Amino acid sequence: MPAKQVIEEISSENSVYSPMVTRFRFVFDRLWAFASSWKTSSTPRGRRIFHRDVEKEEFQYASTQCLSSYYSVFVVRLAIMVMLAILIGLLTILTWHFTKRYTAKSLDNLAYGLRFELLQRPILRMWNILNSTAEITRTQVELSQYVIRRYSKPANQAEQVEQLYEAMKSVTWALFSSRRALNSITINYRNGFVQAFHRDLKDNNTFYIYSDLANYSIGASVANEMKSLSTHQAWNDEAIRGNRSATWYREPLDPLSGEKIGKAKKIAPEDLINIAGISQVPDGAASWHVAVSKFTDSPLLSAALPVWDSSNKSIVAVVGVTTALYSVGQLMKELVEFHSGYIYLTSLEGYLLATSTNASLLTYSKPLKLKMAVDCEDDVIRLGAQWLKRTYGKDFPPSHGVHVENVKLGNQQYYIDSFFLNLKRLPLVGVIIIPRKYIMGKVDQRAFKTLVILISASLCILVIGCVCILILTNGVSKEMRLRAELISHLEARRKAEASSNYKSQFLANMSHELRTPMAAVIGLLDILISDDCLTNEQYATVTQIRKCSTALLRLLNNILDLSKVESGKLVLENAEFDLGRELEGLVDMFSVQCINHNVETVLDLSDDIPKVVQGDSARVVQIFANLINNSIKFTPSGHIILRGWCENPNCSSDSRNLPLNQKSRTPQKTRMRQQENHAKKASKKDNQIILWFEVDDTGCGIDPSKWDSVFESFEQADPSTTRLHGGTGLGLCIVRTLVNKMGGEIKVVKKEGPGTLMRLYLLLSTPMDATEQHCQIDYAENGLVVLLALHGDTGRSITSKWLQKNGVCTLEASEWNELTQILRELFHASSVHHNGFDAHYAVNKSWKSILLNIEEMRNPTFVIIVDIGLLDLSTGIWKEQLIFLHKYFGRAKFAWVLNHDTSNTIKMELRRKGHILMVNKPLYKTKMFHILEAVIKERNFELQKTNTTASRTSTKEGDAHEFLEIDSTHLDGVSSDGSDISEMGASNSSNGEKRRETIVKSHPPSQYNKNNCFVGLTDDYAEDSISRKEESWKSSPNCRDIHEDTEPKSQASSPTEAQERESGCGKTLSVNCSSKTVNGKKSLEGLRILLAEDTPVLQRVATIMLEKMGAIVVAVGDGQQAVDALNCMLGAEDSTGESLMKERSTISQTEIISCTPYDLILMDCQMPKMDGYEATKAIRKSEAGTGSHIPIVALTAHAMSCDEAKCLEVGMDAYLTKPIDFKLMVSTILSLTKTTS
Amino acid sequence: MESVVRLQRQLVDYTASLFQEGYLDEQFIQLRQLQDESNPQFAVEVVSLFFEEAERLLDELAKGLSQENTDFKRLDAQVHQLKGSSSSIGAQRVGRICIAFRNYCEMQNVEGCLNSLQQVRQEYSSVKSKLETLFKMERQLSAAGGSVSSP
Repeated sequence: MPAKQVIEEISSENSVYSPMVTRFRFVFDRLWAFASSWKTSSTPRGRRIFHRDVEKEEFQYASTQCLSSYYSVFVVRLAIMVMLAILIGLLTILTWHFTKRYTAKSLDNLAYGLRFELLQRPILRMWNILNSTAEITRTQVELSQYVIRRYSKPANQAEQVEQLYEAMKSVTWALFSSRRALNSITINYRNGFVQAFHRDLKDNNTFYIYSDLANYSIGASVANEMKSLSTHQAWNDEAIRGNRSATWYREPLDPLSGEKIGKAKKIAPEDLINIAGISQVPDGAASWHVAVSKFTDSPLLSAALPVWDSSNKSIVAVVGVTTALYSVGQLMKELVEFHSGYIYLTSLEGYLLATSTNASLLTYSKPLKLKMAVDCEDDVIRLGAQWLKRTYGKDFPPSHGVHVENVKLGNQQYYIDSFFLNLKRLPLVGVIIIPRKYIMGKVDQRAFKTLVILISASLCILVIGCVCILILTNGVSKEMRLRAELISHLEARRKAEASSNYKSQFLANMSHELRTPMAAVIGLLDILISDDCLTNEQYATVTQIRKCSTALLRLLNNILDLSKVESGKLVLENAEFDLGRELEGLVDMFSVQCINHNVETVLDLSDDIPKVVQGDSARVVQIFANLINNSIKFTPSGHIILRGWCENPNCSSDSRNLPLNQKSRTPQKTRMRQQENHAKKASKKDNQIILWFEVDDTGCGIDPSKWDSVFESFEQADPSTTRLHGGTGLGLCIVRTLVNKMGGEIKVVKKEGPGTLMRLYLLLSTPMDATEQHCQIDYAENGLVVLLALHGDTGRSITSKWLQKNGVCTLEASEWNELTQILRELFHASSVHHNGFDAHYAVNKSWKSILLNIEEMRNPTFVIIVDIGLLDLSTGIWKEQLIFLHKYFGRAKFAWVLNHDTSNTIKMELRRKGHILMVNKPLYKTKMFHILEAVIKERNFELQKTNTTASRTSTKEGDAHEFLEIDSTHLDGVSSDGSDISEMGASNSSNGEKRRETIVKSHPPSQYNKNNCFVGLTDDYAEDSISRKEESWKSSPNCRDIHEDTEPKSQASSPTEAQERESGCGKTLSVNCSSKTVNGKKSLEGLRILLAEDTPVLQRVATIMLEKMGAIVVAVGDGQQAVDALNCMLGAEDSTGESLMKERSTISQTEIISCTPYDLILMDCQMPKMDGYEATKAIRKSEAGTGSHIPIVALTAHAMSCDEAKCLEVGMDAYLTKPIDFKLMVSTILSLTKTTS
Repeated sequence: MESVVRLQRQLVDYTASLFQEGYLDEQFIQLRQLQDESNPQFAVEVVSLFFEEAERLLDELAKGLSQENTDFKRLDAQVHQLKGSSSSIGAQRVGRICIAFRNYCEMQNVEGCLNSLQQVRQEYSSVKSKLETLFKMERQLSAAGGSVSSP
């Protein structure tokens, strides 16, 4: 069977089975899923207690599913293989069986026909022989009767007998010659005469045999006839005997012509042939029998018939005809030769008549006899006969043939068929034995071969199929395994992330919980420290505890920050703040720390940095605090510079005035260019700017290999530093996360010389409108000469460069002697002659050029900024030095840079001497700015009015003093480690400041507090520094005095003077404007606010809040009053026109209240008489047509959105809920006034 | 000096207890922070303003409720005022009851209003006494020469 067919069948079967396969698969899946889920659910139960994560279970479920499908694939694979094997096996067997069976059947049919045919032919031949023999016999008998009757008349007996015999001879010859197959014809007369023709078939000789005529008389025989009826037997025996006694002759004849060819020879009677005698026809009927010839070894068939006389009363002669059965055997042989197999004929009794073999049919024992078939020499025939006999025995079915297949004879299988031929007197049985091999041999062989081929082919297919399935499913299972692995990895990762998240959350929660008791501990310690009944030892211990607690709190804060960032809880605020101010505060704070370390802290911000940026000021400050703190830790001496510049797309950063390290910075730039570009793109929209900062120190530096890792948590460049400096390594990590959160980046960059240079950029947005409005005063016009007598080189040079850039001549001195030299040179040499100066003092060229420049100035104002550190404070010399400097007091303005620990006696001394310009270290831009401003102002006033100078300076003194104090407090609020600094402040500050310190300290360092404090201070400053402004009358009584002081003076002065004063005022205002920008936008300075509120409590609170911010508040009790107040204002505006400035300075207080334009109205919604909504409607109505729009902010206790909607509907601009949140109110007011102004 | 410290501690404790028991909230701290040299008695001033107003309002409320046909609208406005002023000084307990009071007013439930009025009175008197004690302690402290400003 062709393999192709098999495959086709398989494929067709597969297609049939595929739904079944899937069903199987499904069942397997279920089974496996169940098994594996049971397995997995039973094992990790113990662990699950710890993780209550739902996600995990999901994953587990997924993984078990995956695992189960993996197993199911395996099982399905096996199942498919088994099924394939069964299928192929079945197909093979079926195919083989059917093909074989049908072939065998048809072949059997064919073979049966063949066998039948084969057997039929010898039988037919036999039949023929028998028939012909019978016919001849009959013919002979007829002829004999005729002849004998003719010659029966006994005329001449002798002659007649002679003639009779002659006639008989010729007749017989004619018959004999006509039948070639005949063996012999004999005629035995009654008288014993015998005539016979015999044909020897072997040598083809023909003989005529006759006996001599001993008794011629036929009559005798006729005579005897009467008796013979009774003595018939006797006759017969006698006759034979008599014949025997007679002489017999044999004449050879020509077989064709019958001519005598030889002499007659005498032979013994019955020597050659059997002569049929009377005994053979006892009843006168024909008789048949098989005889055995003496000379041939084949059996002979002989027939005998009697010849009756004419009366039919007596037998005249007996005719015998014998035919050899040889020819039948011959035919059989021929047939068998052609077809193989064996054929034999037997008589009914079992005697062999003919076989297809050469085996003799006769026994060799004398007399010759026929053999039984069972005794045949041929094995096959014998065995076949035996088998037949054994099988059927006596009950041999006479009429039916036997057809048996697959009879085992010997070692081979044979077909045996037998036929029964029912001849009268001679029934015959023909048997044909054909080896199975002959017919079915090929078929069997083929069938076997086919079977073998089929089996091997199916085995091959099975193997190949299995391999294919393996290969096919291998991919699937591999994928499954990979997926399972992936899932397990994912799960592991998720778990890890979750645990890390848990950790962060835990830390966040815990540190929060820890902070609260820590704050309490510290607070209580403060109380304890302030307790005076402590002994010195106790005090020391408590102080120690206080320090430790502070350190612990700081650590907790760090952890909180970090975990806050990590757990994603940190949300950056987005509020406007003054970046410069924050950084200044920071530097102020750290400079205190640094002075003890002999480290100079310098702030170097470029001018293009916007004053106000939007962002989270606390976090920005924290970044720099951490960085600077870090730098201080590792910097034993030298300087720490905080540089900042703005990367603005429209102003090239190369024009910055940053003196230090410019060379080293340029290559770095290219490296960071990419991020810059990226950031720049982002900055294009929503007004964002990139601020670059550098923290540069001269410390021990960081190994380049650690540049990245220092920003990791708990990572320190050198583990040993922990012992020296302490710290947890969290600071920089927090810095990095914060910087990243602000869209920036931080890295350590290479720097020349020792130390570390950290560079970072932040992406901050600026308020849209506040990009550039700081009006720079052109100092060059004022002809200022600044002498910087400062201790720190770095700070001094930076300050001096900045001043020079702004057109201010600077001179530098780093020590006392240098200062004195320059002073002498400036004031003596310039007044006398500079040649001598050139000769006497070897001053370098730059000085010279500066001095020359100064020479050229028309009216130079000298500002001498002296570091208190230049004086010899350890001994009493400083007083003499002061006296020395005091000589120049009239000619130059002195500004003193104080240390934070400068003793009060020195301050008092300075104040006593009239040095009122004092700033704390470090000196940076803003302070410089203030100094110069103050100097210019003073000069202007001097120019303006010399007689008021004294009183002004006295007020100045107070102002400056206050300013200093402000300075020191404001930095406390700014610090991120508030408690730490306040502690420091507490230890360092003088007794006057102590109270203030404690106030700040005891507040938690919240954003709100800071702002509050900050704003208040700004306010203070603003009030003090611009004392002539009318606004100040309200808040501080002493200022009001001054104001009233100046007021009559200005009134008393001449009109020109007043005019001059106006211009001075204008100038002051412009300065004021700039100082305002410096001091921060959050102040409500100058805003006029109408407050409509009926509840007295709220009215008072709101008023105070607003006034704290510098606003002028007019409070009214209800909506009607508010509308009235506004109408009056509008009317006033109409009458006075646009000269508001003048109005402000001249009109009286009450007028201001009633008729000043309000910048904003705070409107309570629920009021008696006329509520807020009504009032607003009325105001808006009156406004219609004028084009003006006063912002109205609703104040309401209804914290619901519908109220808000109602408020906005009636024309209010914003909405505040009660109780008033200070910060929210300020920001709301600012946003509204800004947009309108 | 010893007495100052003792007073100070007492004051701190007392203030803390006020906050803890919920008489006061952050608004009071804000109020305190608004107090400075220019307005040294700001908190006291505002609180006494509150006292005056609250007493007035309470009287009016009692009057309004005793009348035959109560004007709930007016009542509501008055309670609203009381609520606003009490929350402005941080007397949060009073404010909270006012919220409930207003609900009753809206429902025009006289019984509930009377009940609430009783509660408000109670709370008001307690917060008043507490605050008065507080200010007294502060006065004592400042008289003794200590710093008042640490709450």
